[in-house]
Amino acid sequence: MMRMLQLLNGPHDLGRGRGFWSGMVLLAAAFLAYPTIASSFSATNVAYYLLNIPMALGLSLLWGYGGVLSFGQVAFYGIAGYTYGIVAGNLQDFAWGTEAGVLAALLAAGLSAAAFGYFLFYGRVAAWIVPILTLVLALLLATFLGLTAGYQWRVGDIQLGGYNGMTGIPALQIGGLTFQDYAFFYLVVAIVAICYVALRIWVNAHRGQVLMAIREDVLRTELLGYDVRLEQLRVFVIASVLAGVSGLLYVQWGNYITPSAMGLQQAALPVIWVAVGGRDSLLAVAIATFLLNQLTYILSSGGNQSALVIVGALLVAVMMFAPEGIIAGLGRLHWLHWLRARRRAVPSGPASSGK
Amino acid sequence: MTDSENFPASPGEIEPAQPSAPCSGGPTRRGLIQGAAGIAAAGVVLARPNIVRAASETPVKVGFIEDESGNLSIYGIQKLHAARLAVQEINDGYTLAGGPVGSGCLGTMGLYSPTPPTLTSGPGAKLNIINDGGTPSEHAIVTADTEEILIPSGEKGLLGRPVDLVSSDGQSNNTLWQQLARRMIQQDKVDVLVAGFASAEREAIRPIVDQRKQLYFYTNQYEGGVADGYTFCTGAVCEQQVIPVMQYMVEKFGPKIFTIAANYNFGQLTAAWVRSFAPVLKAKVIGEEFPPLEVSEFSSVIAKVQAAKPDWVMTLLVGQNQSNYYPQAAAAGLHLPMASTVNMAQGYEHKRFTPPSLANMHNAVNYMQEIPTKRNQDFVARFYKMFPNDPYLGQMAQNTYFTIHLYAKAVRLIGTTDQEKVRRTLEAGWAIEAPEGTVFLEPATHHASHYIRLAATDEKQQISFVREWPMIEAWWLQRLGVNLVRHPEHKQYTPQEDPFFKMFG
Amino acid sequence: MSGSERIPLSRREGGSKVLPELASILYQFGTNAAFLLLSALGLIVILGMMNIINLAHGEFMMLGAYVASFAVHRGIPFPLAVILAFFATGAFGIVLERLVIRRFYGRELGALVTTWGISLILAQGALLLFGPYMPPIPIPGGAVSEGVFSFSVYWLILIGISIVLVVALTLVYRATPFGLQARATMQNPSIARSLGIRTGRVYMLTFGLGAGLAGLSGALLAPATSIAPFMGQQFVAPAFITVVVGGGANVIAGAVGSSTFLSLIETPVSLTLGTFYGTMALLVMALLIIRVLPAGISSLGARLRPAVAR
Repeated sequence: MMRMLQLLNGPHDLGRGRGFWSGMVLLAAAFLAYPTIASSFSATNVAYYLLNIPMALGLSLLWGYGGVLSFGQVAFYGIAGYTYGIVAGNLQDFAWGTEAGVLAALLAAGLSAAAFGYFLFYGRVAAWIVPILTLVLALLLATFLGLTAGYQWRVGDIQLGGYNGMTGIPALQIGGLTFQDYAFFYLVVAIVAICYVALRIWVNAHRGQVLMAIREDVLRTELLGYDVRLEQLRVFVIASVLAGVSGLLYVQWGNYITPSAMGLQQAALPVIWVAVGGRDSLLAVAIATFLLNQLTYILSSGGNQSALVIVGALLVAVMMFAPEGIIAGLGRLHWLHWLRARRRAVPSGPASSGK
Repeated sequence: MTDSENFPASPGEIEPAQPSAPCSGGPTRRGLIQGAAGIAAAGVVLARPNIVRAASETPVKVGFIEDESGNLSIYGIQKLHAARLAVQEINDGYTLAGGPVGSGCLGTMGLYSPTPPTLTSGPGAKLNIINDGGTPSEHAIVTADTEEILIPSGEKGLLGRPVDLVSSDGQSNNTLWQQLARRMIQQDKVDVLVAGFASAEREAIRPIVDQRKQLYFYTNQYEGGVADGYTFCTGAVCEQQVIPVMQYMVEKFGPKIFTIAANYNFGQLTAAWVRSFAPVLKAKVIGEEFPPLEVSEFSSVIAKVQAAKPDWVMTLLVGQNQSNYYPQAAAAGLHLPMASTVNMAQGYEHKRFTPPSLANMHNAVNYMQEIPTKRNQDFVARFYKMFPNDPYLGQMAQNTYFTIHLYAKAVRLIGTTDQEKVRRTLEAGWAIEAPEGTVFLEPATHHASHYIRLAATDEKQQISFVREWPMIEAWWLQRLGVNLVRHPEHKQYTPQEDPFFKMFG
Repeated sequence: MSGSERIPLSRREGGSKVLPELASILYQFGTNAAFLLLSALGLIVILGMMNIINLAHGEFMMLGAYVASFAVHRGIPFPLAVILAFFATGAFGIVLERLVIRRFYGRELGALVTTWGISLILAQGALLLFGPYMPPIPIPGGAVSEGVFSFSVYWLILIGISIVLVVALTLVYRATPFGLQARATMQNPSIARSLGIRTGRVYMLTFGLGAGLAGLSGALLAPATSIAPFMGQQFVAPAFITVVVGGGANVIAGAVGSSTFLSLIETPVSLTLGTFYGTMALLVMALLIIRVLPAGISSLGARLRPAVAR
């Protein structure tokens, strides 16, 4: 247990020490308290900003920590969403139908990622080809599902629905509790918190160190006796399952999914969130995902036609002037100042409070 | 509220409420007309007391979502501008002629025509003679074209309140559509929602609409089949467009049809209509090709059409990529007559592509800005006065325009914006004088009958209207027995649920 | 599922029909290959020489088409308009390289994200500035017919132009001082720099050339497409597939090889099974090729003739 806490407080993300974690607890408490002041509409909306975080965290792990950029995480988001829709839709009348749907969705995302990742990593394709191939996978799936409009494209009672998408996907039920409105909001907050904590432990643990070693130098890591292919495949599967978690939450949120959830526009979004936040910091990515989702929504709901231009300009500006990401850049600056101040105050010992 | 509102006409031209007068002949159903007038009269009685208490200053909110940016903006901006025009007119104290007419039929239009419809044979007035749509017949129906459809409503705004257009940009992104629909319904608490271009967008927001019992208008032409108690579909559907255009094409060019349809819901379903109705018209679909939406290079499709040698080609192509088919086919020397239900009326391809890409194209439309009637040319003039730089005023824009006026009329009649009551009022069956002609909103299916015209292009891609059908009902849901007034449901039917289509695969 | 009725290709009454059908198949094959090659050309130059994946490639093509449309409707003849599109887009590429791209050498993934941002700005910016579409360009040339089939002269010219472009590019890189410097920079920038080659200039010109070629292709394909802000998206997927399959060992040969190979796959499949399966076959083949030849088709040539490959 102590070991876990130590890992959690490890150095491979922004923010350490008592002050930071107190802040995080406060933040979590604020989220938990939010529904008491918010309308169910606002809570549902905030839940949407949050539900993309697992996918973004997965990509951060893959790209920022592992050095492998995937442009097609939305493929696994979609696979999970569609699988849940099919399984849960068919088993609606059974007690554990929706739970079976969740299980099947995560399995489908993981297995398909494993199969595809095998091609990528055991084929040892060049680093620059991975983003293109993952993008092609997403587009392929989007194209295929877009063509399933006919009545013959049914699994059990559920129609795939082609370009118009699959409608009427049931919400998750546990016992008598249906996760809608406020309950759904709490579910999302809990899942996001768990994902963040688990990933932070993971990157600070041994496997995380190996992953970062691969990012820094593939050959050296291999010479140290690690199977780089296996490690990359493993992290690819983890990232894809996380994308699947987001996909699952998305279909709970809208009771609906279309192939365009895997289209070109959507495929780029996770990359944008991760790049703007700062890809090698989980926390920064989570914050950026939340804020950017909110920004897109605010811009477009105001009827502002330049929303896409603003998002594009933001992306270019960030990559030019803050290549480490805005949030991560700000965070590092802050901690640096704090460390310096502390070092001056206590010259005798190192400033870190964790290790 | 004035009487001319409930018995609309150009003010002063007709006395209201003479139910038997218009039915002096023609294929009208006298009983129905009388019933309609009865309902309308009841409407007057119901409406009057409400006027007194409605004086609040909070605006009536018309929620409006369309794609103003992204791939579909070429259509969305037209619709937005038409909606602005409608709201402006309501706030300036105008409304479109029309009113509740009961279950309605062609003859009900006589209620507010300056001259009653009559059956004549032989030559009549030039503009008003309309072929009845099939083979040339002895009889022709004369419908009157009410000259002035925009009439004073008797008040500025709606129930003494200004009307606000709450508009948002869906960015051609389904998830955003869901978010925006929720915001409109739950936060802005709009009184009515008018939204949706692609069927995918409609299907994305319909569950949210149903959950919150929101009054919702979908103004687009689409594949048909939506039977939803909270949704009114005011655009034309397959049966209103496919069969007329096929009828004309088979008669004029021959029975061998080749279909090229976009490979998604709309294309597949419309192609099923073409396939199933070909035998009825003694024609045959000799080839079908379904290019995916992403395809933009059509040489193999063109070669297949050439090899099959059809008499004409049914092109049901959707989106920017697929419209590339036209210039490519023309350049490859494929000059077969073409028919469609989508092109020209929405994406004004005849204006965007250089001749002869779109030459010899035929489409059964319910509206195009080229319609020569005075009422339409007045509407077009009003539109371009407000938006002088717009490239085109298309079918969906017109649908949006009359739909918002229709909503305002229903609210004015019942005297409240209470959504349940407005919905029930709309279910009285309404006729409204739209720029296209008279549109009738059918209560049981929540769909609208339309004035369908066959638009054909010449070598220079100039439009002429070669045949007109003054009223075609959206009859397919009726055939399936849908009655949303008695049995509310919330689904979309597909042709596979109709035994007729099963016979043709 | 698509197309319940298909026209059997083999339905022939006599031997005289063979020739037209052969011509038709060749024509389709040629147009498919030319389309893929033209879509990919600018992307290939930038990727092969600079290792930058330019996601704004489609928007560069859109710019070229816009320039051409603008020029044609001011009375400039179409061939001149195409050349103008090349130089205008090339100049734009050079400016962009100086302002933005130059910061991303050695950070390929950063460049990828940045060019995506640029593509968003260009596409939506074009919509805001010029409205939802540009006036079309009429397709030059008529049609020639062979039996029941008829072929567009313009597409035949395009096939010719793509061959000319490939030859010209090869010559530029093999027979000019710029080509020599560019190849040196590509192989080892630091040694090239130490030999006095101004690598910054080489990168700038290469990016300009790539952008210009994208503009040129956009202008050439413009008569066959609708000229609209988001038209670039349709070229992105085919361009990437062509490049990935072609590989990076010898980019020009790779592109020629992969566009030929892919259209060899796509043409018969779409002809017999329908366009949908043609597109699917294209994508699946791309994945398979990557598994078998991770470095692309061009590595095949490199393996056979290791000495001359570069």
